[in-house]
Amino acid sequence: MASNTLYILLCSGEHEKVQMAAMIASVAAVSERPVEVFVSMNALLAFAKDAPADTRYHGAGFSKLLKEKKAPDPIMLFRQGRELGDLKLWACSMALDVKGWELDHLDEDLFEGALGLTKFLSDAEGGQFITL
Amino acid sequence: MTREKIDARGAYCPGPLMELIAKLKLVQVGDEIEVLSTDKGSANDIPEWVKKVNHEMVGVTQQDGVWSIVVRKAK
Repeated sequence: MASNTLYILLCSGEHEKVQMAAMIASVAAVSERPVEVFVSMNALLAFAKDAPADTRYHGAGFSKLLKEKKAPDPIMLFRQGRELGDLKLWACSMALDVKGWELDHLDEDLFEGALGLTKFLSDAEGGQFITL
Repeated sequence: MTREKIDARGAYCPGPLMELIAKLKLVQVGDEIEVLSTDKGSANDIPEWVKKVNHEMVGVTQQDGVWSIVVRKAK
């Protein structure tokens, strides 16, 4: 059955891609479209609870511009999407295991929980799927 | 009917939109919100969002590089 839900697989830790994921997710969520984001691989590192603000994001030329121009912070955008719309973030259980992290190593009050890829892919059937 | 103002000059997309949406949750149906923005994208995106979620556009004007986007809460 077709679904309006947008599923985002975020596995790149590049600032530009984390930013884009946050923008897509938050705007879709506030536009009354359900969104689910699966955060894995290097992307998980951007959500580490104690990551210093100035080194949390790594990228290329556009990352520098985003920081200089004080573009909306990706973590803040994800939070706004959760507060103002239907947005859920899931932490990849495999990536957590490989890092030796528990969920509480990540920014608070952002993730619904840890999830396996199989469940995410199953939920995403019939929805629109984006990979960043 | 009251009119609230959001000064989002200098904020980048989707900041002005997010500020508008947060404010809409606080005002009453029939109230208006004016968003001041220097972001050209927001001048297009906000009306698009308003249309999608069935609020009302009152108008968009521009002066000296600043857009004034006025929205009325319809629901």
